[in-house]
Amino acid sequence: MKAFELYDAATVQDAVSMLSKFGPAAKVVAGGSDLVAGVMKDWIHGKGMPYPEKLIDVTTIPEMVGIKLASDSATIGAATTLSAIAESPQMQKGWRVLTDSLFSVASPEIRNLGTLGGNINQRPRCWFFRGEKFSCYKKGGDFCFAVTGDNRYNAIIGGELCYIVHPSDAATALLALNASATIAGTGGTRTVQFDNYFTGPREDVLRENILKPDEVMVNVTIPRLAPNTKTAWTKLKFRQVYDFALVSVAVVATQENGVWKDGRVVLGGVAPVPYRAKVVEQALAGKNIKENAKAAAAAIKTVARPMSANAYKVDVATALIEKTLLDAIA
Amino acid sequence: MAQQVDVLRAVQDERYAAQLTPEQWSELSQSPQWQEFVTESPELAAPLIAKYGNQLPGNGGNGGAPAKAAAATFTTIGKRVPRVHGLGIVTGLGRYVQNMRVPGMLFMKTLRSPHPHAKVVKVDTSQAEKLPGVVAILHRGNLPKEYKDYRLGSGPPNRYLFNEEIYEVGAPIAAVAAESDHIADEAIHLIDVQYEVLPAVLDFLEGIKPSTPKQWDNKLDGTILNIEKPLVRGDPDGGMAKAQIVVEVVATRSTEQHMPLETSIAICWWDNDRVTMHYTTQYAHGARNGLAQALGLPQNKVRIIQNGYMGSGYGFRTGVDLQEIHAAILAKLTGRPVRAMATRSEDFIARGHRPQNRNEMKLGVNRDGTIVAGQFKVISNVGAQRGSAASGAWFQMQLGYKIPNLRLEGVDVFTNSFKSGALRCVGHPNGAMAMETLMDKAAYAINMDPLEFRLKSINLDGNPDTKLPFSNPGIVTCMNEAAKAIDWKAKFHAPKAKEVRPGVFHGIGLANVFCSHGGGSSNATGIVIVTSDGNVQVNSGSNEIGDGQRTQMVMIAAETLGIPLARMSITPHIDTDLHPDSGMSAGSVQTNTGGWGTYEAAMDAKRQLLEWGAKKFMDDAKKATPPQTITVKPEELDVVDGNVVFKSDPNKKLTVAQVVQSTTGQIIGRGVHQQPATWQRTAFGTHAAEVEVDTNLGTVKVLKYVAAHDVGRAINPLALEQQIEGGTIMGLGAALNEELLIDKATGVPLNDNILDYKALSIQDVPRKIDIILVEHPREYGVYGAHGIGEPPITPPGATIANAVFNAIGVRVDALPITREKVLAALKAA
Repeated sequence: MKAFELYDAATVQDAVSMLSKFGPAAKVVAGGSDLVAGVMKDWIHGKGMPYPEKLIDVTTIPEMVGIKLASDSATIGAATTLSAIAESPQMQKGWRVLTDSLFSVASPEIRNLGTLGGNINQRPRCWFFRGEKFSCYKKGGDFCFAVTGDNRYNAIIGGELCYIVHPSDAATALLALNASATIAGTGGTRTVQFDNYFTGPREDVLRENILKPDEVMVNVTIPRLAPNTKTAWTKLKFRQVYDFALVSVAVVATQENGVWKDGRVVLGGVAPVPYRAKVVEQALAGKNIKENAKAAAAAIKTVARPMSANAYKVDVATALIEKTLLDAIA
Repeated sequence: MAQQVDVLRAVQDERYAAQLTPEQWSELSQSPQWQEFVTESPELAAPLIAKYGNQLPGNGGNGGAPAKAAAATFTTIGKRVPRVHGLGIVTGLGRYVQNMRVPGMLFMKTLRSPHPHAKVVKVDTSQAEKLPGVVAILHRGNLPKEYKDYRLGSGPPNRYLFNEEIYEVGAPIAAVAAESDHIADEAIHLIDVQYEVLPAVLDFLEGIKPSTPKQWDNKLDGTILNIEKPLVRGDPDGGMAKAQIVVEVVATRSTEQHMPLETSIAICWWDNDRVTMHYTTQYAHGARNGLAQALGLPQNKVRIIQNGYMGSGYGFRTGVDLQEIHAAILAKLTGRPVRAMATRSEDFIARGHRPQNRNEMKLGVNRDGTIVAGQFKVISNVGAQRGSAASGAWFQMQLGYKIPNLRLEGVDVFTNSFKSGALRCVGHPNGAMAMETLMDKAAYAINMDPLEFRLKSINLDGNPDTKLPFSNPGIVTCMNEAAKAIDWKAKFHAPKAKEVRPGVFHGIGLANVFCSHGGGSSNATGIVIVTSDGNVQVNSGSNEIGDGQRTQMVMIAAETLGIPLARMSITPHIDTDLHPDSGMSAGSVQTNTGGWGTYEAAMDAKRQLLEWGAKKFMDDAKKATPPQTITVKPEELDVVDGNVVFKSDPNKKLTVAQVVQSTTGQIIGRGVHQQPATWQRTAFGTHAAEVEVDTNLGTVKVLKYVAAHDVGRAINPLALEQQIEGGTIMGLGAALNEELLIDKATGVPLNDNILDYKALSIQDVPRKIDIILVEHPREYGVYGAHGIGEPPITPPGATIANAVFNAIGVRVDALPITREKVLAALKAA
């Protein structure tokens, strides 16, 4: 790895002003499990992705670490470790779909270091993006190697130009929970719903979210679930420890006597962003979940556009949506 | 430098072998590549040894009658003994090479080719040299001339320390020595290389086409390296025509990786004209001999220390590779110690892996279960160097079952990709995968229970072509024991007949292994020193690579000497300056290589103890009051529980310490054992599994797994179970997940890291693997034992494939059996 400078930020403002001062070669770091032990170790860089020269540690900002519970929500500092969130009894009680998703991340060692903000904002795992020898769109190159290459794990929905899948389990669960992020930048602080947080390749192929180079994700706020809301999380992996989702599903279903009133079905591992499967939600609206789970899950096929080697993921997603819906109401 | 010998070419090319000089045979015999070949592929080396044996050191097969005079009871053999150096392993505090720091040491990193086939036009190191902390850069342009002609391995194509024409992604272009690992890493990114990119062959089935451009002066089509002389028995075509039913299978195996916990690492330095290297090798003396050849030094000027604490080997580091040679040259040029550690990616792409294979299998059977004919063709992708893989898969096809009419064919194909080599065996896992899936398909085709079908045709008569009898008799016991443990009779059912939950089907399957490993090799040596306080230093050259060899050596010494195990001591490491050469830890040989050497040394020490004991009994009698003259013969004495005793009266005894003190100092026993080559050494085993296959998700879950192996005699049942469990888990990884992939357009590896190369995690292996140790002690084995390191990795591929078929009624005969293949097979059905 190339030598870099490391700065401890004392406050959010401190971090923002350093980012602004140093420019695009500066990056926020927390656990470093992706940025340092992945991107930098493996020299993932290109014209549109400068090799980081300065890292700004945000785990030293007290405001960004910890969980604050309110009557109607929980607010989690972006530099809180995945373990701290997953192991919190209050979080398990109130937002099981999130804590289940976090327990499915990597391994205990990585969860002890990795943070919520880091998990949400990590870079994709596409092996062409991660391969130093492939200059792909996402690094500022002019090709997507997945289109003609081995795309067994790539996107089946929403890919264009670039066919990554969003790697974050936390993001998938948080979108299902209708969470929002607080973002600080030189222009001040703003709150963004996760509905609007992630960006696809058409909007900007060089990044996966709306964070600008001088912005820091400060915290995430999750509303409490409405009464009669059931949730479930499923993550299918090739091995049970230390693996990303082949397909994951987060279901948050508000129901009455088994009938879908409101809720979300969100998929990870299938699209360049955490994918809200509105076709499935619409197919369930006003209907008995158990009786209609299979047919509703099959609706995902109407929006899927698989590539040469990943059609099986459509079948897997279909089966997994049905399973997760049934798990939620079980 | 004299023309070097191509070891594999000597095996494959009769004319080449015929023109070798005595000097070249001598050089060949000292090459680690040859030693690996005879250890890993004894059956393939046998014809050459038979023909040129007078020029080669003896080696190879061995065997024997049932062990006679087996002791009724043992004091140590058969006990479950934990590892003697276990604390250092489980704490990680043992002296692993990775844990070592040497004052003043430099860190080496290698710049590697991104192209599968190219010419290196120019290497510009000027920018890298300016980076503070860079001490030396070695590349083709500045390699000292004494190393320019040195080649590693067998061509074509030739593999020099730095090639002008490179044949694979990962071929070294330059090696940097710097003050830190990170500086060296940054420096290799500052080296500017101009390549002339050449057409590459990435797919081995392309390589066999006549239209494929040749990359060297090749008399065969495309990039075919070798077409094996077919093995023909009876009338394979006529037999096939007469068979009532003909079944065909195309079974394939993908590239598999060793994935040791510790990547390859060497730390080396020079002291005057001698070089010392700590290195993660499976064979310290082989690494010494290889490094000596590369550096042009006599063997006694090279000192290799194999630390004993080593994150395993699995077959890919029996000798030295380019990284170690570069490090030794950089250490010489800089006058400083150099540490060279492979990244995970480098271990994946720049060193060997199990070759990719395609097996075209055809079996003719009659409805009563009689096998009439077999026609088997193995095509192997050996990667960017001459390799011998196809015929290595023949063993089980040739020997497993009674097939009166047989044709075996083999083709080794070069591609511009990862080099092939040993991986806990080389070809037998492929042969077993192909043969055992074919046997299953045939059994179902004639509506016969697959277990019954196998039992009907199992070959117990030895090698039908060479007429050598088998070393071990245990295959039928293994089959019956495995079947009993998995409850085969109750649980076997028709394909897709047992849906346990909606869309989830139960399946059961089994497979046999016939493997040529587990006998001993030559270089079976040992030294046993009984110290003056009555304790014992066991000095064995048996390399500990995580397999429990050092523990086994002290157990054998304790049993043989009659001195308690607690009084034995053995170093974890091997130092070629101090330890005798006792062969490589490969080919599952160490039980019978290091084991026999230690046994003979202990016997020698015991003989001396008895002689000195007899003398001391007589001397003591003379000194008694009144003095007595007695006659004691050594054969009247024995060593029991650390005392030299009269067999007739064990109460008349001297402690071992008393006896040793009566000598001039200590007792040194030495042992050398010759392995006879009169038997077809064979390791037998049977695996069986129950699986559940989710037809919606394609998930294969292994519910229960049974592994039965004929181990001859269980010297340390605990270590045996660990070896069988470990091998089985590795085999299950290859069956279900593991595959090293390259991008078909560029040849660049896609998953050369442990995240994307999905070896199983502990949560993915069956909760319990039932291990059955079948014991048929045979005379050839030390205490009747047979080695076990490799056989357990062989059957899981076919066992799982057969169980998956039983579950879902469609075959997936391409390993790994991933969910996409399962789902695709179900769709196609």
